[in-house]
Amino acid sequence: MSIQSRTIHRFLKTFAAAATATALIAGTAACGLDGDDGTADAADADVVNIGVLYPKTGQYAEYGRLFEQGLELAKDEVNADGGLQGKQLGLVYYDTQSDPKQDASVAPKLAADASVIAVVGDYASPASAAASPTFQQAGLVHYGFNNSSPTFTETGDHVWSPAIGTDSYERAYADAAAKIGKKVSVVYIENDWGKQAYEYFKEQAAKNGTEIVYESSYLPDSTDLSPILIPARDAKPDLIVDIGYGPDGALIANTLRDKLGYEGPFFGGQETAEFLDLAGDNAEGAVITGSFSAEGTENPGAQAFVKAFKERYGNNPGNFEVTAYQAIKDLAYAANKTEPTREGIQKALQTVDDFPLYQGNDTTFSFDQETRRAPGINPILLVVKDGKFVPYEA
Amino acid sequence: MIDTLFSGLIHGGAYALVAVGVSLIFGVTNIVNFAQGSLVAVGMMLAWYTGSVLGWPIIPVVVAVIVVTALLGWLINAGIIAPLEGRKPIAALLATIGVGQILDNGLQIVFGARTRPFPKLLDTSNLQVAGVRFGTSDIVMVAVTVLAMLGLWAFLTYGKAGRAIRATAQDPQAAQQMGIPVKRIRNLAFVIGAVLSGIAGIFIGLFNGNINPMNGGTIGLTAFVAAAIGGLGSIPGAVVGGIVLGVVEAVGVFWFGDGAHDLITFGALIIILIARPQGLLGPKTDVKSEPMTGTFLAGARPIALPWWGNLALAAALLATPFLFSDYLAGIGTQVAIYAIAAVGLTLISGSAGQTILGLAGPVAFGAYASAILTTQLHWPFLAALLAAGVIAALFASILTFPSWKLSGHYVAIATIGLGAVMVALIRVAEPLTHGSLGITGIPFPTVFGATLNTQQKIYLLDVIVLLVALVIVMRIQKAHLGHVFDAIGSDQEASEAIGIRPGAYKALAYAVAAFLAGLAGSLLAHQYTYVDPTIFNSNMSLLILTIIVLGGMNSPIGAVLGSIILIGAPELLRVVPEARILAYGALLVLVIMFRPQGLFARKG
Repeated sequence: MSIQSRTIHRFLKTFAAAATATALIAGTAACGLDGDDGTADAADADVVNIGVLYPKTGQYAEYGRLFEQGLELAKDEVNADGGLQGKQLGLVYYDTQSDPKQDASVAPKLAADASVIAVVGDYASPASAAASPTFQQAGLVHYGFNNSSPTFTETGDHVWSPAIGTDSYERAYADAAAKIGKKVSVVYIENDWGKQAYEYFKEQAAKNGTEIVYESSYLPDSTDLSPILIPARDAKPDLIVDIGYGPDGALIANTLRDKLGYEGPFFGGQETAEFLDLAGDNAEGAVITGSFSAEGTENPGAQAFVKAFKERYGNNPGNFEVTAYQAIKDLAYAANKTEPTREGIQKALQTVDDFPLYQGNDTTFSFDQETRRAPGINPILLVVKDGKFVPYEA
Repeated sequence: MIDTLFSGLIHGGAYALVAVGVSLIFGVTNIVNFAQGSLVAVGMMLAWYTGSVLGWPIIPVVVAVIVVTALLGWLINAGIIAPLEGRKPIAALLATIGVGQILDNGLQIVFGARTRPFPKLLDTSNLQVAGVRFGTSDIVMVAVTVLAMLGLWAFLTYGKAGRAIRATAQDPQAAQQMGIPVKRIRNLAFVIGAVLSGIAGIFIGLFNGNINPMNGGTIGLTAFVAAAIGGLGSIPGAVVGGIVLGVVEAVGVFWFGDGAHDLITFGALIIILIARPQGLLGPKTDVKSEPMTGTFLAGARPIALPWWGNLALAAALLATPFLFSDYLAGIGTQVAIYAIAAVGLTLISGSAGQTILGLAGPVAFGAYASAILTTQLHWPFLAALLAAGVIAALFASILTFPSWKLSGHYVAIATIGLGAVMVALIRVAEPLTHGSLGITGIPFPTVFGATLNTQQKIYLLDVIVLLVALVIVMRIQKAHLGHVFDAIGSDQEASEAIGIRPGAYKALAYAVAAFLAGLAGSLLAHQYTYVDPTIFNSNMSLLILTIIVLGGMNSPIGAVLGSIILIGAPELLRVVPEARILAYGALLVLVIMFRPQGLFARKG
């Protein structure tokens, strides 16, 4: 027997021992196929937690960073106001890179953690959707505050989303487009969200009698979009619309203005510093739909939020920060209305009709019990003026 | 149309510049350097940092990029590639994949994930042709490409070091005997390739306008496709390939929309590989004789446990679902699913020696087949599971069949393309698959009337399927068929001489792998209850291959071990997320360098 294979045998033995040990330790936690009994000792703890699924690393890390700012601010405010019926609120973060595989792996850990009374996140719908079934089974509310996909809440009655539905966003967008002209060219991002959003846009455009003279999707990682923007320009539209995110929106604005010499109106982009930075002067006049404007909001709660946010982080919050902030505020409100338990949160979402709202001009909202979404939150239109997003009047 | 052609030409110029570096390294070292795109990203980010944050003008920026990338090129070769000398080149290929991952993730840790505007080191839109504006930057980029091509040609033909590089490429032993310092010459080739990539990064940054540290992967892959279209190893070929790809993409996207982008890019690659494997300008003779087939661990044998050992392990594995907590069982499901796909890969990549870099394709077909059969046709789960395997095997085999006449690196390249094409087809086949929208509401698995709705129950099902997969693969390995696969993997010419038809057997081994990948896809779909095309990306393919490299290319039990480490360990590393994303690449490099036969195999 060679040294090599002896090492292997030793390794194997260690490995087997480790596996047995792990199994034994685990065995004390669970036995049988029916899973852990998650909520047994939740009532005794001094700290209750909200689980967070979010991309701290990976390609979406920028959004994870924005989320974390809003979440942390809300948590500290909740605790400063007396916490959840006297208990401290904590956030347990799980970095998933917004990768479905990792969401599926950590979801059972959150579900089995008795101190967790609700879960917020993830950034992207496929990742969120991979975790939802586990939370549904565990009777744990999954509050997908960034998941505007209309199918997101279909997994079950514990899956909720306060995100403004893609349908309302796109109707508002198409209506604003109709006021500019009769002929539009549309490009949209090729993913679950973009596809759905464009369908709603097209539907509303047809109702408004707007003619779509050119349409094409584009892949999120495409770096040269001239081949679709040339025909979009040459179709002689009154307006070019992009349904997408920030970096791709900036690429389109830059290509249209700098490379293709297009000077007509442009709708597209994202309410992030990243977009403004990337598109620079070309962002000027770009119109997007949003839920919130740090500069122009007249909602007193939102104004207080903007002030607190600016004090803590030194810049104005955007849509990603406000929705994350509101998610924690909503769930804390729910826990205080009933009790800080999994059942309490679910019951509150089903019964409470005045959740705090920091977007739009209303100050409260409630859920549609059929769809588990918040149809009352209306999108607003924003336009880039002097390098800032301000409310847009069509 | 002239606008589109013109913009395609400029974009093609950008491809060509990176492709020249790819072709150079391949031509002189016989190594496909998958880290090339990441080196481009290094140049790009460094130019951003020095040009934007420090405000340097173009000349010092270029100098900084040259110095850093030259150093990196030297480090990569001297530290990782050179020690692999004498092993099968596939070892170096896999090592460069690891290096690329380390560079990509390292850049992200250093610079953050944010997309940034590239500094306008040169004018980018001050000139106009037809309806398209372009800039001094584009002119300089094309000039640099042409100069690099001519310069390299002159250097390799007339320069002393250049001729030494070529001699080394042709026959390292003979070159050494003629007094050529082979090591130093190889270092030189790598340094030149790395510097070219770094400079390309500056121009790609200027061309794209917006840059992100994670851009390297896509840039490398397209440059690679361009180099393969032009003919790997041929430097004029790289330029032609880049321009052809740029124009084909522009015209294709103009007609079909950018949603079909991947289909056009990788479709072009596959058509070229089938019709003219040596590429447009590649030398005709090279492809067949490349000594690149084979597991890089010639003679490595999987460790065989006695029958009672296997039985005990199987029993232990079967017991885990009854013992594990929700969290462990949840991780267990992911480990088991990836292990199922990896176990199949040991047959084709391990035994038969064909590097498969596109297994996410059959996984996706299996997932979609199962999702569609259960949600639209209301098939019972078990029937859908089996059908998923069969459908994945069938379609993957048909699509892949033409590539078995290729050999060496070209198989790996073709499977990258096929993996991408299979997922792109799913995206395009909208009425059936809902395209990018994905399929929601896929039911939990139901077995004999019982719905598997806890982590433990799903995990038990996954474990049973995994055991079946292990039995199938281990039986095949022991049978006559397994020896035929081994023979092809060890020496294709010799096996042909004794009357084995390698193409047919490779296809068969791949069909088995695709069948098991399809099963894995189905299990995944019914656990997530949701699928969309973004789940089945090139990272998935890479991960499955890494699993078997780690465990031992031809060791099915090693595949399980590899899956436990690569899928399970990142969960343990959750406390240090930054280190976590570096772990895969580092592990891949370390295993190839220090335990090339894999953890669960011994040297022959």
